[in-house]
Amino acid sequence: MAKSLTQEFVKGLWEELPPFRLVLGLCPVLAVTTTAKNGIGMGIATTFVLLCSNMLISLLRNIIPQKIRIACFITIIATFVTVVEFLMKAYTYPLYLTLGIFIPLIVVNCIVLGRAEAFACKNGVAHSLADGLGIGLGFTLSLGVLGSFREVLGAGTFFGHSVFGAAFQPFTFMVEAPGAFIGLGILLCLMNIVSSK
Amino acid sequence: MNDMFKMVLVLAVLCSASGGILAGVRSLTMDRIEYQQLKFEKEPVIRSIFADADNDPMTDRFKLTDGDTQRTIFPGKVGDQNIVALEALGKGGFSGDVGLLVAFDIDSDTIVGSGVTTHSETPGFGSKAKEDPSFVAQFEGRDVSSAASVKNDGGDIDAISGATITSRAVCVGLNEASAIYQRLKPELKKSMDNLASKGGSN
Amino acid sequence: MTEYIMLAISCIFVNNIMLAQNLGACPFLGTSKSMDTAVGMSMAVIFVLVMAGITTWTVEAAILKPLDLQFLRTVAFILIIASLVQFVEMFLKKSMPSLYAGLGIFLPLITTNCAVMGACLININKEYSFMQALVSSFCYAVGFGLALVLFAGVRERVIMARVPKPLQDTSIGLITAGFVALAFFGFKGMG
Repeated sequence: MAKSLTQEFVKGLWEELPPFRLVLGLCPVLAVTTTAKNGIGMGIATTFVLLCSNMLISLLRNIIPQKIRIACFITIIATFVTVVEFLMKAYTYPLYLTLGIFIPLIVVNCIVLGRAEAFACKNGVAHSLADGLGIGLGFTLSLGVLGSFREVLGAGTFFGHSVFGAAFQPFTFMVEAPGAFIGLGILLCLMNIVSSK
Repeated sequence: MNDMFKMVLVLAVLCSASGGILAGVRSLTMDRIEYQQLKFEKEPVIRSIFADADNDPMTDRFKLTDGDTQRTIFPGKVGDQNIVALEALGKGGFSGDVGLLVAFDIDSDTIVGSGVTTHSETPGFGSKAKEDPSFVAQFEGRDVSSAASVKNDGGDIDAISGATITSRAVCVGLNEASAIYQRLKPELKKSMDNLASKGGSN
Repeated sequence: MTEYIMLAISCIFVNNIMLAQNLGACPFLGTSKSMDTAVGMSMAVIFVLVMAGITTWTVEAAILKPLDLQFLRTVAFILIIASLVQFVEMFLKKSMPSLYAGLGIFLPLITTNCAVMGACLININKEYSFMQALVSSFCYAVGFGLALVLFAGVRERVIMARVPKPLQDTSIGLITAGFVALAFFGFKGMG
């Protein structure tokens, strides 16, 4: 049952929104959402990889032998991840420094491999692109929201601009590891409330 | 057998394509990346240390071999002081190493200025090592043979409040820079004399 | 010797790969619902990470660095990890079938475990020697297992409690993990 292109695209923005509904790709979510900018930067890098790998894997889907498909997917994804790494180093250097080790870790982001396995190797290029774009943007959105949440509470700023003024004592732990879990848990709870209505 | 052959072929082609593409992207971006590192990490610190220099330390930079590493040295003439700045890594920061650029007066063996180039420290706390100039100002005038440490460890440096670990790492980096300076002193002096005789770049 | 003990403490507690560095979250949430799965996953991770750590370190030292091919690191490492997991699976299936059955589905899942790839990359970034890489790989895995088992214990209790509907399952799981992480946060000064 083929969905239209728009439907493929839109599903990534709510129904199958990672990491909330589609519980995948948690690692970077927890670690890079210390500020809104970092979260969105990571989201865009991941979307880029997702788009490229979905497209190439879909193009090659009839050539890649079943038995070694995971190895092939991984090689393709890892190549695009390294390309993104170079591009970020060359054009968005400060962001590259902040995201650090998590850029190469996009290769083990379950979202990318998951979509390749579940979708791209079974569908045409246009649909795979739409799927990749939707899920990627949804992911970026989630990262942005979580990043903002943690940044506002944990550092009192939003995209680097002070929100509450000097008197505000930030919940510093929110920008550290524990805050990642708690922030994600709270947001997930809110999403559950909204979708059960 | 045919299957096996096909698998090996596909994988081999993919891997070579991958290697080829990456090598290509790498050479395309190599210069730009070096420029970015220079610009973002070092330039702000260099500009502040060499604010009144007669020359441009960035364009006059040269490399010296120190064991199995290449070190970039930024020379400058400020007034009648001959200054060399080099980089060191302050290991043991809160979230990783703290990159430092330290400038030495080659005639008096003292530190004339320093600055944090790269770090992953906590925004609002350890990041003050970079944002607050009064912290690194404590190192000015220090002799290279005098190791720096924070007051908590018996030294004379005031740590940043709430960021003792970061402050410690900066001290470690500073001491490392002093060690490198002392190690390379003869070559540094030679290079500075060469530059002086060439008239610098104006 | 003390250097290695400090390294061990650092990897298991202070810089716990899951609770302090946020690596390995997917399997963390997925396998911590019961103690059995938690222990199974921990064993598998220890197994794979130690071997992956040594292998990736050797490849970096013997091939990537001397030939100036470091930009191929991401591709090389992930392929090594994926192949290792494949190998380990085949080996265990033949020679230790009970262990293989015990580990079950967790073995292939380790390929996408950010903790494994992450730890291998950290070994390189921190320029560890071979011994240090070995110790840190083992200890990161032990730390991961520790966090996993601790968390599974907490979660088994939470399931019994009366949790409001929106908070159920993953949500309360995450918040609880946050508190466990807060506890480990206290180790920070020891680094």
